[in-house]
Amino acid sequence: MDKLLRDKKAIILFVAPALILFTVVLFIPIGTSFYYALCDYDKKTMTYHFIGLGNFIRLFKDKTMFIAFKNSMFFLVFSCVSQLIFGLLFAALLTNITKGRNLFKNVIYLPCVLSSAALGLLWAFLFHAKVGINNLLGAWGLPQPAWLYSTSGFITLPMWVIAFVALWQYVGQSMMLYMAQISGINKSLYEASYIDGATKKQAFRYITLPLVKPMIGTAMSLNAIGSLKFFDLIYSMLGDKTENLKMDVLATYLYRTGFSSKGGNHYGRASAIGVILVALCLIATAVINKIFKTENYEM
Amino acid sequence: MEKNKQPVRVSTVLIYVFFCFMMVLYLAPIAWIAMTSVKDRASIYKSPFGWPTEFHWENYAAAWTGGKLGIAMLNSLFVCGITLILTIVIGSMAAFAIARMKWKLSGAAMIYILIGMMIPVHCVLIPLFVRFANIGLNNNLWGLIIPYLTFSLPTCVFIMSGFFRSIPNELLESACMDGCTIYQIFFKICFPLARTGLFVTGLMTFIGNWNELLLALVFVSDANKKTLPVALTKFVTPYQTNYDKMFPAIMIAIIPTIIVYSLFSNQIVDGLTTGAVKG
Repeated sequence: MDKLLRDKKAIILFVAPALILFTVVLFIPIGTSFYYALCDYDKKTMTYHFIGLGNFIRLFKDKTMFIAFKNSMFFLVFSCVSQLIFGLLFAALLTNITKGRNLFKNVIYLPCVLSSAALGLLWAFLFHAKVGINNLLGAWGLPQPAWLYSTSGFITLPMWVIAFVALWQYVGQSMMLYMAQISGINKSLYEASYIDGATKKQAFRYITLPLVKPMIGTAMSLNAIGSLKFFDLIYSMLGDKTENLKMDVLATYLYRTGFSSKGGNHYGRASAIGVILVALCLIATAVINKIFKTENYEM
Repeated sequence: MEKNKQPVRVSTVLIYVFFCFMMVLYLAPIAWIAMTSVKDRASIYKSPFGWPTEFHWENYAAAWTGGKLGIAMLNSLFVCGITLILTIVIGSMAAFAIARMKWKLSGAAMIYILIGMMIPVHCVLIPLFVRFANIGLNNNLWGLIIPYLTFSLPTCVFIMSGFFRSIPNELLESACMDGCTIYQIFFKICFPLARTGLFVTGLMTFIGNWNELLLALVFVSDANKKTLPVALTKFVTPYQTNYDKMFPAIMIAIIPTIIVYSLFSNQIVDGLTTGAVKG
């Protein structure tokens, strides 16, 4: 038995395809990406010249980059906070009922598995300047904001709209994670607290919250990475209009700098944005884990 | 506990009211797409929220042919299907070796693979695009399958290694007594035993790749090789939008997912949660 499980040839045969794929498709390109970020790409000769930190300095002075960075940070903060509040609220309420719990849970989770590209089209129509929700508002004599086309304010209205749509679509994910954690809490803890005269509110504050805390770190890092990667929804809702509307996020700016016909093929600069994105992901995860680091209580 | 029932009631009712409201918030937009998809363009503009007065089923045909959705759906099926099979085979082989076989670097290999979960696809987009363009994999569905496969592997390895660990040792030992080779142990015993895990991983992989937009947008520019999400974004052009075609197209894109989801929602929800937690 032991000999079989130590069979070197079999081990290599089993692991090699996965490891080779990982190295060739993931780790080598990451290295290349860091190198490209330090280069200027010449479209005509298709060559790369090493220019040091030139791309980063350029991005630092770039107005669009500032907007993209600002919007991404807004998404990051908004999604972390809102998903924590609503995800935890839904989870806490759902664990209080038994009948229909699965139904509610599955319906709220449904948009997570649907294509953002499809749902983005739907919401883009609902928030259209003339038709959609404004049609209803007009009929009731209410003011009709230009939802997706307003450009005033530090955080523009379209950003809020899209942030709420993202919350609607992805809150199920956080809810599921918190539910998994809450249902893992031993019921006798609650029974003991009720015998000692605790109210439901107190039980939530002093039992549920501390025991859910480790999961908050996990769920929030997932939200943070997800909101930094945010692309599908905003692209399908606004398409190429992101630039004029000052609606870029890092991912759309990366896409446009690297691949769009308008932005040209600045592979070097786009790689630099990619590097910044990865760095932000790592920083966000580290910060969140630092804040929510707790020892796991015995449950 | 019986005594507690009376005062709890009010709050329970409130919770139900709250979640019924949430149900409307979640289901109404989807029901509304279905309703709007059979209206003609004039009535979409005139009364976007009204009940359809006449049913224009030909919208679906127009969207299907006009948006090349048929080809897009076949492309998506091909890409996601192949990715699914490869992910399951390669991923569970690696998971088995990491979880059950005895070698020094198994822990390191697991970490190496799990790092892959942390890395956003944006970072490797440009190098991969350049490399694939050089070797002729751009505008080729295999050029999508390879990165999809790589990015699906970590979750698969993570979930499957859990399943393989839970297989009792005695089972493997008795198979060994009967003279099974290590390959037979894997393919004839462990692989079939981990069916539930394979099913969950498979569904997740499929759904994730079915919805993927960025890679598909960048790597494929040939109109006949676009996947479904990319084909959808083409319904919105900067100057006009064919709403009477767009809504049927959305329906066509989300109905398969909704059907699969309603059949297996519990497994999917559990699987995605375990896949997301990953410690």
